[in-house]
Amino acid sequence: MTALDLPVRTHPDERVLAGDADNHRRRRRRREYGLFALLVAPNLIVIAVFAYWPIIYNAFLSLTDWNMIAARPTFVGLANYTRTLSDPAFHKTLWITIVFTGLIVVGSLVIGLALAFLFNLPLKGRGAVRTMAFAPHVLSGAAVATIWAFMFDPGYGLLRALIEPLGAEPPDWMNSSDWALPGLVIVYLWKNVGFAALIYLAGLQGLPKDLDEAAAIDGANTWTRFWAIKLPLLAPITFFLLITTVIGTFQAFDVIAVMTGGGPGDATTTLSWSIYNEGFKAFNAGRAATLSIIMFVILLVVTTVQARVMERRVHYR
Amino acid sequence: MKARAIQYVVLVGVAAVFLGPLYWLISTTVKQPTEIYQWPPSWWPDHFTWENFKLAWEAAPFDRFFLNSTITTVLGTLLKVTNAVLTAYAFAYLRFPFKKVLFFGVLGAMMVPGHVTLLPNYLTVATLGWINTYAGLIIPGIGSAFATFLMRQHFLTLPTEVTDAAAVDGAGHLRTLWRVVLPMSRPMLVTVVVITAVEEWNNFVWPLIVTNSASMRTLPIGLLILKTEEGVASWGTIMAGTLMMLAPMLVIFLIAQRYIVGGLTQGALKG
Amino acid sequence: MTMRRRMFLGLAAGTTLAGCGYRSVDAEYSQPPGAVPAKYGNRVRVVFWTSYGGANGKAVDKLVAKFNDSQQDVYVEVQFQGSYDDVAQKVAAALVAKQAPDLAILSDVTWERFFLNDALEPLNSYFTDGFGPAVFQQKLFGEYVVKGQSWAVPFARSTPILYYNKDAFAKAGLPDRAPRTWSELRSWGPELSKVQSGGRSLRTLALAKVDGDWQFQGNVWQFGGAYSKGLDVTIDQDGAVAAGEWQRQMVHVDKLAYMAHSPSTDFANGLVAMMQESTGGLKSMTSKAKFPVGAGFIPSEVASGLATGGGGIGMMRNISTERKQAAATFLTFLALPENSAFWTTQTGYLPVVNAARENPDLKKLIAEQPNFGVAIAQLTNARQQDAIRLYGRNANVAIYTGLQQIYADNTAVKKVFGSVAKRLEAIGDEVKRLYEEKVL
Repeated sequence: MTALDLPVRTHPDERVLAGDADNHRRRRRRREYGLFALLVAPNLIVIAVFAYWPIIYNAFLSLTDWNMIAARPTFVGLANYTRTLSDPAFHKTLWITIVFTGLIVVGSLVIGLALAFLFNLPLKGRGAVRTMAFAPHVLSGAAVATIWAFMFDPGYGLLRALIEPLGAEPPDWMNSSDWALPGLVIVYLWKNVGFAALIYLAGLQGLPKDLDEAAAIDGANTWTRFWAIKLPLLAPITFFLLITTVIGTFQAFDVIAVMTGGGPGDATTTLSWSIYNEGFKAFNAGRAATLSIIMFVILLVVTTVQARVMERRVHYR
Repeated sequence: MKARAIQYVVLVGVAAVFLGPLYWLISTTVKQPTEIYQWPPSWWPDHFTWENFKLAWEAAPFDRFFLNSTITTVLGTLLKVTNAVLTAYAFAYLRFPFKKVLFFGVLGAMMVPGHVTLLPNYLTVATLGWINTYAGLIIPGIGSAFATFLMRQHFLTLPTEVTDAAAVDGAGHLRTLWRVVLPMSRPMLVTVVVITAVEEWNNFVWPLIVTNSASMRTLPIGLLILKTEEGVASWGTIMAGTLMMLAPMLVIFLIAQRYIVGGLTQGALKG
Repeated sequence: MTMRRRMFLGLAAGTTLAGCGYRSVDAEYSQPPGAVPAKYGNRVRVVFWTSYGGANGKAVDKLVAKFNDSQQDVYVEVQFQGSYDDVAQKVAAALVAKQAPDLAILSDVTWERFFLNDALEPLNSYFTDGFGPAVFQQKLFGEYVVKGQSWAVPFARSTPILYYNKDAFAKAGLPDRAPRTWSELRSWGPELSKVQSGGRSLRTLALAKVDGDWQFQGNVWQFGGAYSKGLDVTIDQDGAVAAGEWQRQMVHVDKLAYMAHSPSTDFANGLVAMMQESTGGLKSMTSKAKFPVGAGFIPSEVASGLATGGGGIGMMRNISTERKQAAATFLTFLALPENSAFWTTQTGYLPVVNAARENPDLKKLIAEQPNFGVAIAQLTNARQQDAIRLYGRNANVAIYTGLQQIYADNTAVKKVFGSVAKRLEAIGDEVKRLYEEKVL
C-alpha cells in the first residue's frame, strides 16, 4: 500500500516535515495501522463470524426452499421474496410491526421526557424514584413477561383487582385481539421508559441555563420555552433514543414469545415473531431467511435515513 | 404550593407503577399457593412461607445453574468489555484507512436480529467443537457494537491534551489507555460493564441451544424447567425462580446505578 | 439467471466450506457432547433428548437411572431440551451440524417430518420378544407404522379426558359424572353459572389458547367432520364448522366458555368447571387442585372419537451401529411392563405396553383413583389424527390461531376456517410429494 492510498487526514505538524523524515513518518504510520488492526481484530473477527456470517448464510438460504431436515436445499431464486412481498399475511405482519414499534417509540420518548422533567424538579425522593424507573431495564425480558403475564391474567391478575373496583370491566388483555398488542406495549414501556427518562434527564441537566432564562425574561411562557428552546436542544438525545428504541423494538421477541405467541390469531405477530414461527416451528428455513433479510434491510434503511435527517438538521440549525 | 403537592402525587404514582409489579413478584413468592389465587387478592401475605423457593430450588439443579451463569457472565463481560475498550480506543485515537466504513460495520452488527443468528451460529460453534462448552456459551456473544459505540463516544469527549501529553512522554498507546484514558472513564466503564453483564446474565435462547447437559446450563433454563411442569402452572414456584434469577442483577444495578446515569448520558449527549 | 445461479453456487460452496454442509442420509454423525460420570465412562453412551421438565422430568430421570444400574454396557444420558418444538428444532439443527442424538422424544406432529426426510432409523430389525408389535398397545404402536415399518415407539402417549370440578358440580346440583354429549354439557352451564368462584360466576368450559387444535381434532370428529381426508383439507366443511360454531356460541352467545392461557391452572384454582386436557397432566392436577378432581370421557355429539397425542421416541438414522444397538437396549428396557406402568403412575400418561395394565402398582392406583383408568378405557374411541395435522408442518399452528380468532374475536367460523383451509392447503402442498411417495 502506497501513501497515495491513504486517507486525507494528516496531522498539521506532519505536513511541514520533509525528506528523510518522510520515511520515519511512514514507519510510524505503519506502526499505527498495525496497532489499530491488532486492537480491533478480536472484536471484528467475532462480529464478522457471529453477526455478519449469519446474515450471509441467511441471504443464501433465502434463495432456497429447505425444511432443515432434507438432505439439501432446493434453489428457488427469488421466489421466496416475490411470494413474501405479495403475501397479505406479510403485509399485515409488517403493519403490526410498524404499529407496535411506533407505539413503543413514541411512548418511550414522550413518557420518558415527561418523567425526565418530573425528576428534574426539586422534589425529595426523586433520585430513588428515578432508580425505580430504571430498574426494570436490567431485568430479563422473559422474566418481566412472566411477571406481567401473571398480572394480566383475567382471572386472578393484579390488574383485574385494580380495574374492577373502579366499576369497569377489565379487558381480557392477552386473550383479546384488541388488547393484546396494547398490553405488550405496556410491558415494553414499563421495561424501557426509565432508560429514556434517564437519558433525557441528563440532557435537561446539561442544557445551557442562560438561553432559557433569557427567554423567560422576554416573557416566553413555559410551553413556548419547551417547544422553542428545550426540545430542539434535546434533538441529539431524541435521535439517540429513536435509533436505539427502533432497533430494540423491531427485534423484540422474548416478551411476545412468553405472553402471546403472536396471537390471538395473528394480532401480535410481528416480523420478529414470524421469523421464529417460520423458521423454528414450521421449519421453512428459506422463508424465515427471507423475512430475516427483509428485516435487516428495513432496519438498515430506517437507521441510515434517521442518521441522514438528523445530520442535516444539526448542520443547518 | 398546590403545584408542588400535585408533583409529589405524580412522583408517588410513578414510583407505584414501577415498584408495583416487583412488589407483586416478591409478595407472591412468599405466599402459600391458596393465597396466590384467592379473590380478592391479598395485598400482604397472611403467612410467610419459603416453600416456593424450596420447591423451585429442588425442581432443577439451580446451584449449578447459578455457577454457570456467574462464570459465563463474568468471563463474557470481561472479554466483551475488553473488546469494546480496545476497539473504541483504536477508533478514537488511531489512524487507519477506511476507518469510518469499518466503524459503520461495527455498528451494523446491532441491526442483526438475535434469533436470525441462531442456526448459523450453532453450525459454526459445532464446527469449532464448542457445543456444550463455556467457549460455545461465551465466545459468540463477545463481539461488541453498542458498548464500543458508547466507549468511543466517551473517548472523543476527553480533552486531547491529556492523550497528547502522554504521547509526548513516550508512553505507548496501551499505557496511555491503561494509565490515562481508562481512569478518566470510570463512569462509562461501569455503565458498559453493567449493560454487558445484564445482557449476558439474561441471555436465554442461545444457552438452551448450545448446551446439552444440566452441568453446562444457566439460570434462565432453570426458569424454563419450572414452567414446563405438565399441566398446572405453579405461579408461586415460577415467581420464586424468577426472583432468584433477577435478584443478582438488581443488586448489581443498585450498587452501580449512580455511575450508569453518568455513563449512558454521555453516549447519548455526544451521539 | 445464470448470474444468480453462479452467486448461489458460490455461496453454497462457501457454506459447505465453512462446515455448514447438509445431511447425507447414511453418514455417521458424532454424538452431542454432555457429561458422563466417571463410573460409566467405559460404556456405550446413548444420548436421549427429552422434553419433560418438572415432575415428569424427574420420572424420566428415575427410569434412566434404573436402566443405567441394571446393566454394564450402556449408559443413557438424558438431555432436557425444552418443549416438543424445542426438541424438534434442536434435532434438526444438530443434524445440519453433523451431530445426532441417539434417541429423541418426538411429538405427534413432529416425528413425521423426520420420517419423511429419512432422518429416522427403521425399528423393525431391533424387535424382539420383549420389544415389538406384540408388546405395545396396538393402536398407539400402529401410529408409527408406515407400510409395515416402525419409525418410532410410543412413550408418553395420551388422549384428552374431560376434567371436572366435583365440588362445583355438587354445588350446582349436577350428577357426579362427566356430561355425555356436548349438548348435555351446554345444558349444565346455567346451573354452573350460579356457583360463585373467584369473585364472579363459575364458567363452564375453558378452551386452550395454544395447542387447542389437538382437543379440537376430536371435537371435529364428534360433530361429524374432519380436518382433512388424506391431505385434502376439509376443515371448512360441515362437521368441522359445526364444531367451531358450537364453541363460538358457548363463548359469545351463552358466555359459558372462554379462552384460557392455561386451562389447567384456571381449573386447578376453581375458576372453571370443566376442561378437555391431556391425561398426562392428571397426576399434577390431582395433587394441585384444591377440590376433588373428576375425570370422564370426552363428550360425544353426532359421533364419538378423539385424538391420541403426546410423545414417542425416535431413533436417529445417522448414528453408528453400536449406538443403535445400545439405544435399542434402552427402548427394550422401557418396554418392560413395570417401567411402562411406573411412568403411567408417575404422570397419568397411557400405559403404552399392554402388560403394564396388569401391573399391581397401576392396578392399585386405578382402584384407589379411578381417574387414572379413564384414558385407558376411553382408548377404544381414540384414533390417529387427520393427515394434514400430522404431516403438514405447522398445520397445528394454523388451526389453533384460527380457533383463537373465533374465541377472541367472535369471527364467523365459516370465514375463519375458510382462510385456515387455504393455509392448510398450502402447507399440504409442501409435503405432498414426500407424503405420496412415502406414506400412500
